[in-house]
Amino acid sequence: MSGWLTKHELLAPLARLRGDAVVVTSMGVVRPWARFSTNPLDFASADSAMGHTADFALGLALARPERRVICLNGDGSTLMTLGTLVTIAAADATNLVLFVLVNGTYELTGNQAIPGASRVDYAGLARAAGIARVHSFDEPLAYERALPELLAGEGPIAVVVRVQPGDEGPLSRGDPGESPYLRVSLAESARRLREALGGAR
Amino acid sequence: MTQPEAAREPPRASILLDAIEAALAPSHAVGLPDNASAALFSLLERHPRVRLISVTREGEAFAVAAGLWAGGRAPLVVVQNTGLLESGDALRGTAVRMGVPLVFVVTYRGHARAAAHGPLPPTLPLTGEALVDPRVDSVALLTEPTLAAWGIPYVRYGSDADVDQIEAAARRARDEARPVALLLTRALA
Repeated sequence: MSGWLTKHELLAPLARLRGDAVVVTSMGVVRPWARFSTNPLDFASADSAMGHTADFALGLALARPERRVICLNGDGSTLMTLGTLVTIAAADATNLVLFVLVNGTYELTGNQAIPGASRVDYAGLARAAGIARVHSFDEPLAYERALPELLAGEGPIAVVVRVQPGDEGPLSRGDPGESPYLRVSLAESARRLREALGGAR
Repeated sequence: MTQPEAAREPPRASILLDAIEAALAPSHAVGLPDNASAALFSLLERHPRVRLISVTREGEAFAVAAGLWAGGRAPLVVVQNTGLLESGDALRGTAVRMGVPLVFVVTYRGHARAAAHGPLPPTLPLTGEALVDPRVDSVALLTEPTLAAWGIPYVRYGSDADVDQIEAAARRARDEARPVALLLTRALA
């Protein structure tokens, strides 16, 4: 575990390289991402429905095929809707980059172990679901070296990254002390993202 | 005198889809087929302007639809009522919580048999006895009470004569920035 990526090692290079991509965050990376970015194309899947971040990101990607959509999803969230991996592959969203951040725990509720924490092969699941481009990383250097190509290539791409468990607490919206993109309601966040993407098409 | 629903011709998928196109101009249809919606899916599979997105479980459909809307598109969702029940938190946490003006079609499995058997809720109390009665599909008893409990407005669609319900549902979804269900009480022809 000591070689696994910290959130800083995961997110700092991504923030440098994301360009004009939409970035959808969930769970334990919602607040850490906001320390790197206040881009109007950032969207926190918080106060939403756990397990439905990747499918929301798929909808965005299908809506805007000319723009890359990066989804930062957790392992516990991925397990909740494994079928979404199949849906992503079948929909052939070539602009979607799905990160599966594997820390083996439900971080926001106190790092309880998720089912199969040390045994589930997320890269294998993604491949078996039909996602052709799947990459796995468990140390920061290889990840940072590969990232530019991962963000430039044709997807859908699954990027499975081993990350160190953190100590993020529960997320809330509407609190002025929260990260900027958590200070408004989910509805207002969705409306702002839609506006940032140019509105109805 | 109103004709009993069962005596009327079944609603036609082509009429329904034409009305949906006129009211919603959908860019994508997201969902899972069943026997009642098969004719609609058959039209959607070869539709020149609407892209069909198949999902593995109905809850995904609402999240995908919310993402499509946030991306500026106009989604339609089509699911069976059993899948609707499974979708509760996905619907609540995405389309409802994000204020998506979504019209979603729900095929009403068991409605015809339950309506022929006797009253439906709220007239029929949801007792344990009612929920295990093999002559009635319990999902038919639970569909409307569930939507009501979740705060989802709905309209029923049982024949071509109900076509105006689609524009009414679309207007309400837009005006109130919320999902509205169109309950398909009979299988489409």
